Amino acid sequence: MLAARASSRNVQCIARSFATVVDNAGVKVAAIDSNQPTTSVTFLVKAGSRYEPKAGVAHGLKNFAFKSTAKRSALGTVRESELYGGLLSANLSREHLALTAEFLRGDEHYFVDVLSSFLTSGKFTRHEFEEYVTPVMQSEIELSNADPALHAIELAHALAFRNGLGSSLYATPHSHLTAEDIKAFAKSAFTTGNIAVLGTGIDQDSLSKLVEQSLSKISTSSALTSTPSSYFGGETRIQGHSGPQTVFIGFGSAGAPTPELAAISAHLSTTPSVKWSKGLSPIATAIPEGTSVQTVYLPYSDASLFGLLVQGPTGASVREAGKAAVTALKSATSLKGDDLKKAIAKAKFASASATESRDGFVALLGSKVLAGSASTLDATLSSLDKVSESTVSKAASALVGAKPTFIAVGDVSSLPYADELGL
Amino acid sequence: MPLFGPLSFSFAPQVLASKTLSRWVKPFAAWYAEQSGYRKYGLKYDDLLMEERDDVQRALGRLTSAEGYDRAFRLKRASQASILHAPLPKEQWTKFSEDGRYLTSHIREVEKEDNERAMWDTVSVKRK
Repeated sequence: MLAARASSRNVQCIARSFATVVDNAGVKVAAIDSNQPTTSVTFLVKAGSRYEPKAGVAHGLKNFAFKSTAKRSALGTVRESELYGGLLSANLSREHLALTAEFLRGDEHYFVDVLSSFLTSGKFTRHEFEEYVTPVMQSEIELSNADPALHAIELAHALAFRNGLGSSLYATPHSHLTAEDIKAFAKSAFTTGNIAVLGTGIDQDSLSKLVEQSLSKISTSSALTSTPSSYFGGETRIQGHSGPQTVFIGFGSAGAPTPELAAISAHLSTTPSVKWSKGLSPIATAIPEGTSVQTVYLPYSDASLFGLLVQGPTGASVREAGKAAVTALKSATSLKGDDLKKAIAKAKFASASATESRDGFVALLGSKVLAGSASTLDATLSSLDKVSESTVSKAASALVGAKPTFIAVGDVSSLPYADELGL
Repeated sequence: MPLFGPLSFSFAPQVLASKTLSRWVKPFAAWYAEQSGYRKYGLKYDDLLMEERDDVQRALGRLTSAEGYDRAFRLKRASQASILHAPLPKEQWTKFSEDGRYLTSHIREVEKEDNERAMWDTVSVKRK
C-alpha cells in the first residue's frame, strides 16, 4: 500500500511541466519558480560559433558582453551590478550564446535591463575591443590550447563536421577580427526569432512583462544561416607539451540526437555512482592504473558527437586504455538485459539531475525553448523509456561502422594510431 | 571645463553658440592660427597638445594605426625642419582644410571615462 502510494507520487512529480513557453512578440520566454532565494535570467541567443560569418566572431561577441551600451558604460555596468550584488556571465557554445544574470529576488528590473540593453544598444567600440576584449580573447585561446582535452575536442569538431558545427569556439591567435565584424554579426543575430529568455526563481508573468518592455525595439528580420551538419570524420595528431597524453576517439552522426546514444554513453561512462569506487562500467576495470577514460556526449540540434577521451601519463598506457575502451564500445552493440536497464536508468538520472542546476537547465531546455516546443523533461525521459535492445544495437553498430574521428594530442611519436586500437 | 584638464580652457563653445560673435571672431581666429606658424612645419593643431599625461597617452592609443603613423611622420618632419632652422617648402604646409581635430574627440572620451570612474569611486548609495 505504502509502496503503491509512493510510486504514484513519483509519477506526478515527473509529469510536472518544468517551464511553460510563452511567445512574447517573437521572443520565447520560459520560467520556473521553485521558491529559491535567488533569481537567474538567461538571454539565450542563436549566435554560437556555427553561425559566424568569419572565424572567431562569435568568440569576440561573447567577450563584448556587458561592455558599453547606449544606457551605461562598461564601468557603470560593473559598479552598479556590484551595488546590487549580482553576477553577470556570458557563455558560448557551438549553437548558442547565453548571457546570464544571477541576483537576489526583486532586482530583476535592473538586471533584465542590463542584459537587454546589450542586445538592443551595444556600442561595440573599437577602443573597447582593443583594450578589453582582445586581451581576454587571447588568454582564453591560450588556455584552450594548453588543455589537451579541450584542444582535442575542438579539433574533433573541426574534423567531424568541417563547416558549421566544426568552427571553433575560439578565435585563432592572429585573426584579423575588427569591432566592425562583431557589430555586424551582433546586428544579424540579435533579432526576435533568435532570442529565448529563460528564468529561474521568477514567475512567468513578471518576466514576460519585463522582456516585452525591454526588447520592444529589437529587429525582427534575421540574416543568420548555417549549413546543415553532416559527419565526415578523420585523423589528426598534434604535438603537445603540457598536460597528460591524450587521445580522443569520436563518432558522430548527423540528424537529431537519439536517446540510444545517451544510453550507450551512460553504459560506457566510467564515472562511478560512489566516489573512489570503480563502478560497473566495462571500461573502468579494464584500463591500467593512472589512466582515465571519459565519455563525451555532445548533442546538437542536427547532429551529435559521441566519443571517448583517453588520458594517461605515457603513450603506452594510453594505447592500452584506448584498446580496452574500443573493445568495450564495440561490445555495446550487444547491450541487453540488466546492463541496458542500468544504462537507461543512469542516462535518465543524468538528464533529470542536470535540469536541477542553472547551467544544465539552460543547456538542456534552452534549445527546446528556442525551437518553441514544450520544454518538459517528460519528453526526454519517455524517449529513453522507448530504448530497446534492438534500437541500441542498431545505433551502436551504425556508430562504430562510420569513419571514426581520431585525435592524438601530446607526444605524437608514442601515441597510438587509430588502426592500432582496433578501429 | 577644468582649467588643468588635458585640453586647456577654451571659449570656443560659447563663441560658436553665438552667430554674431562667431562671425566676428572666426576671421581673426583663422588669421591667428596661420600666424602661429605650426602649419608651416606641416603640423596639425592636435599635434601640439600636451601628450605627457596618462589620459592623453590613452587617447593616443585609440588612434587608428594610419592616424598614428601620420602623426609620427609629421612630428619627425617638423623636428628635422626645426634643426635646419627653416620651414618646410610651401607645398608641404598644412592646409586650412587638413587641420582637423583628430585627437580631441578621443581625449574628451577618455576624460569622460575618468570622470565617471571618479564618480563611481566616491558615490554615496541611498537604498530605498
